[in-house]
Amino acid sequence: MTSGPVGVASPESRVDGAARLPKKPGPTPFTIVTTLGAVVMTVVTARAVGFSFEGLIENLTRPNSVVEGLLNPDFSQIWSERSRAAFIETLQLAVLGTVAGASVALPLALWSTRVGNPNTFLRSIVRIFNNIVRAIPDLLWALIFVSAVGIGALSGLLALFFFSLAVTTKLTSDVLDGIDPGPVEAANASGAGLTQMLRTAVVPQILPSYSSFVLYNFELNLRSSAVIGLVGAGGIGERIEFFRSRGEWEEMWGLVVMFFLVVMIIEAFSVTLRRRLV
Amino acid sequence: MRTDLSRGAPVRATDLSAKDWPQLPKPPRQVFKWVATTIIAAIVLWSFIGLDAKWSRLLDAPADLYTLGRLMFSQMEASEIRPLIGKMWESISIAWMGTLIAAIFAVPLSFFAAENLVGRPVAWIIRQVLNLLRAIPEIIIALAFIPVFGLTPMAGVLAIGVGSIGTLGKLFYEIIEGIERGPIEATDAVGASRSQRLRWGVLPQVTPELTSFILYRFEVNIRASAILGVLGVGGIGTDLTQAIRFKEWGTAGLALIIVVVGTIAVDTVSGLVRRRIVRGPGASSDGGSFEAHEAELIAESVND
Repeated sequence: MTSGPVGVASPESRVDGAARLPKKPGPTPFTIVTTLGAVVMTVVTARAVGFSFEGLIENLTRPNSVVEGLLNPDFSQIWSERSRAAFIETLQLAVLGTVAGASVALPLALWSTRVGNPNTFLRSIVRIFNNIVRAIPDLLWALIFVSAVGIGALSGLLALFFFSLAVTTKLTSDVLDGIDPGPVEAANASGAGLTQMLRTAVVPQILPSYSSFVLYNFELNLRSSAVIGLVGAGGIGERIEFFRSRGEWEEMWGLVVMFFLVVMIIEAFSVTLRRRLV
Repeated sequence: MRTDLSRGAPVRATDLSAKDWPQLPKPPRQVFKWVATTIIAAIVLWSFIGLDAKWSRLLDAPADLYTLGRLMFSQMEASEIRPLIGKMWESISIAWMGTLIAAIFAVPLSFFAAENLVGRPVAWIIRQVLNLLRAIPEIIIALAFIPVFGLTPMAGVLAIGVGSIGTLGKLFYEIIEGIERGPIEATDAVGASRSQRLRWGVLPQVTPELTSFILYRFEVNIRASAILGVLGVGGIGTDLTQAIRFKEWGTAGLALIIVVVGTIAVDTVSGLVRRRIVRGPGASSDGGSFEAHEAELIAESVND
């Protein structure tokens, strides 16, 4: 910026007001430390993953059959017997996984908060359990169950059950932390037992958010159920993996595009429903 | 007065008796509730009947899981801890670089998706792009990048990068749309250009929240990058999958423990930094609020 004559309104010219303006505070130690940390982290991780701009540009500009397949996807696969069955199986897995997970998530969320579980020791056990379940991603659950229970839809269902459990419990217990204590006090004052108190004073407060979390979870499960098939846990992922392993990219992208179109349509419904709930 | 009027009125077909209803407000949305419940029940029933799962195996599942757990956690070897932690670090690296790439693209995109900064048509188009990216899981994107980059961590980095643009962009423009109008008007009043307006009117307001959402996404992406390893792009997921495939249960168990502990550890550190960023110094270490905010965003999340 130019240091122009006095009175010109450049953001940098503070000749007149300077006396009255407070001094601009410098960066806090926290800002300095986190910025440095982020820079160091970036340099170190870039080296760990072998990041280079040349490699990036070279690889991305090279023509390749996968992208060609994406540009002309083959949608006919969706009408074949096996792909359609896998498609439906995916939807069913998502529905059942959500329902099973959500019905266990509500009590678990209640038990993980002070209002629903006065016992500190038991509460921390439930919390540790929730944290462990939450740390394992959907595909790892699928891997675990495929090796324990075997290949097939049942493993997928169990995987989605635990995944839903993690998501819905976490979101619900966060809402539980912020409920209005009034109704709880009222219920306690009128001599309600723990279950009665939860039923009449806590659950009605969180029910709208809980229902919308369940729907949100269903949307997540729809996507997950396409993915868990990659390790043999049923659903459309098995067909995607089949075409991928054979390098039939047109067919693979056809299935993927169709599936996510359907997911986006279902999601639009679910979002409308959620908006009405809250 | 109201009571008298209501008694005189013709009886209406509600499930409440005429005597009750002057005191009680009419329960809202009954029809919607029943229709929704019926439809959902029907869908669940259809899924339950239709799903070709071997239900009989469900009874054996706990025993199977116990056997697997015993195999996994009884044969662990301490010598494997170090290399596996190295692999976990690789997963974390993939997540960090991916998140960074996503943020670099998501921040400018979100400016063009915020209706208080650009016109509606532009915002709408950018939002559709973000929605499309959000709809596809990272692992599917990775399927596209693996043939390009081979089975290298870079395939994972780009998959996570592209996959996170949608979600980050959406969270960002929601934050931007919630900012104070005042500073923008102030920059306009002193004749700021478009980029100056962004720099002085918008950025200072959104930077803390943007940063904390990027960190949050980093936590989410650690799980995603552990998953991507299943495809063989590197990181702990690759070792875990290999171990399970070759029935090296001890290694698999150890890898699983390292995934869980590593994820929780990074979550904790990143969570502390996030809370400090959003709340400023001296805030209580009690969690909740940030996640509650995110939960709120999810609950209200609108898809347009």
